[in-house]
Amino acid sequence: MEQFFKDFGESFYNNLIYEDRWLQLLEGLGLTLLIALLATALGLALGFIVAIIRSSYDMNIKGKKKKGFGVFVMKVLNVICNIYITVIRGTPVLIQVMIMYFIIFGEAQNGTLAAILSFGINSGAYVAEIVRSGIMSIDKGQFEASRSIGFNYRSTMMLIILPQALKNVLPALGNEFIVLLKETSVAGYAATHELTYVGNLIRSRTYEAFFPLVSVAVIYLVLVIILSWLLKMLERRLRNSDH
Amino acid sequence: MTTDKEVLIKVEGLEKKFDNLEVLKGIDLEIDKGDVIVIIGASGSGKSTFLRCLNLLEEPTGGKILFEGTDITDPQVDINLHRQKMGMVFQQFNLFPHMTVLQNMVIGPIRLLKKSRKEAEENAMALLEQVGLSDRYDAYPSQLSGGQKQRVAIVRALCMNPDMLLFDEPTSALDPEMVGEVLDVMKKLARNGMTMAVVTHEMGFAREVGTQVIFIDEGVIVEQNKPDEFFDNPQSPRLRDFLSKVL
Ligand SMILES: Nc1ncnc2c1ncn2[C@@H]1O[C@H](COP(=O)(O)OP(=O)(O)O)[C@@H](O)[C@H]1O
Ligand SMILES: [Mg+2]
Repeated sequence: MEQFFKDFGESFYNNLIYEDRWLQLLEGLGLTLLIALLATALGLALGFIVAIIRSSYDMNIKGKKKKGFGVFVMKVLNVICNIYITVIRGTPVLIQVMIMYFIIFGEAQNGTLAAILSFGINSGAYVAEIVRSGIMSIDKGQFEASRSIGFNYRSTMMLIILPQALKNVLPALGNEFIVLLKETSVAGYAATHELTYVGNLIRSRTYEAFFPLVSVAVIYLVLVIILSWLLKMLERRLRNSDH
Repeated sequence: MTTDKEVLIKVEGLEKKFDNLEVLKGIDLEIDKGDVIVIIGASGSGKSTFLRCLNLLEEPTGGKILFEGTDITDPQVDINLHRQKMGMVFQQFNLFPHMTVLQNMVIGPIRLLKKSRKEAEENAMALLEQVGLSDRYDAYPSQLSGGQKQRVAIVRALCMNPDMLLFDEPTSALDPEMVGEVLDVMKKLARNGMTMAVVTHEMGFAREVGTQVIFIDEGVIVEQNKPDEFFDNPQSPRLRDFLSKVL
């Protein structure tokens, strides 16, 4: 028994304290958070734009015999958005990260940027579908009421439709962010020293898997629990503001 | 001018097709300022479509709609400006559920008419007072009864200070005991000179405040008359048949 605690303590020291390894993990965590945060922002921006294009197309142009330059532009944009969503959702995120880093960035130094971009672009496709389903779930009468007051299409979207749609899809969006946070664990393939990469690095130095990997797992878990809690608070705040 | 009539809307040969379904087959109608036009007809006869064409929620496929002298079916016309002057009240109320009653009422005046918040809110509160809902200004639509929702919806339209109001079966979604409170508000509006086009099955309302009653069947106006004549002395067999079923 005594021997067990002695080994345990030694292992703890070697894997987390020696050479400031905990500090490396902390730095990895910082990078993970940076990638996740910026990718989320990019994903939200992309997702909203794509969702608005796709649902505007569905509502205003699809199946109607409209003509004109604006209609043509919308058709092209809609096709681009569809291709984007199909390709992103049809390929593994790890392959997307590697293509971004090895091919598009050509292994230039900035793996972190490559990771942020590929996770952002990846997340955007999922956010787009979530937001679009939210927009489509809003009763047609809301559009009509807003238009009948005299609001144009844009104001109707911004003031009436999106606020309601967003509230409806907040749980799904929250889930998407949690998935994104965990998916950044493959960013190491783009030579980014994020959390998982650092954990694996320590493992390869100490030849011990337990402490480095379990520490990394615990850190992700704590992050996800905090994030879930924050999202739940936000949902409650929004829910209290009506119904 | 030798006449005190002022034409607000002139509809000429209005047609509407959905793909191959011909819903409106040439409707002519003149609505003067202060008119209360009541539109009746069987379900599916095109009443809603006609009303929704008036503010271009449905795009007509033929004919003209002159609103205050402007042909609003002309693609060059900014329909949003004309819609501000043509309020609409829906069967399903369509209040904005993420806003309070007061917010529902001031968003249009503030954003579109560029009124100050203070002015918009004062005006909204005064109108709410008139429909007996000034104590519910802070409520969300989900906290209101159907009758209250529809009264708020009417006030929301009024807040834009429209020249005309369109009603599409405003009492059809209400429990029977709430129909009266909404009709009372509409009657008050009519007596105060508001120009209205009302699709409804409330024949009592048509008789009491209607200036003209219109019977639409299969996409055309089959009969149009003053309420007393219309109900007491229907000319066409189709209207007689319809009235015998609903009265
Ligand atoms: N958006 C639409 N697309 C296709 N058909 C429609 C649409 N709106 C209405 N219609 C059809 O037009 C006809 C008239 O409908 P409507 O104007 O709603 O009648 P009413 O209000 O008199 O009951 C119906 O046959 C209906 O199915
Ligand atoms: Mg109808």
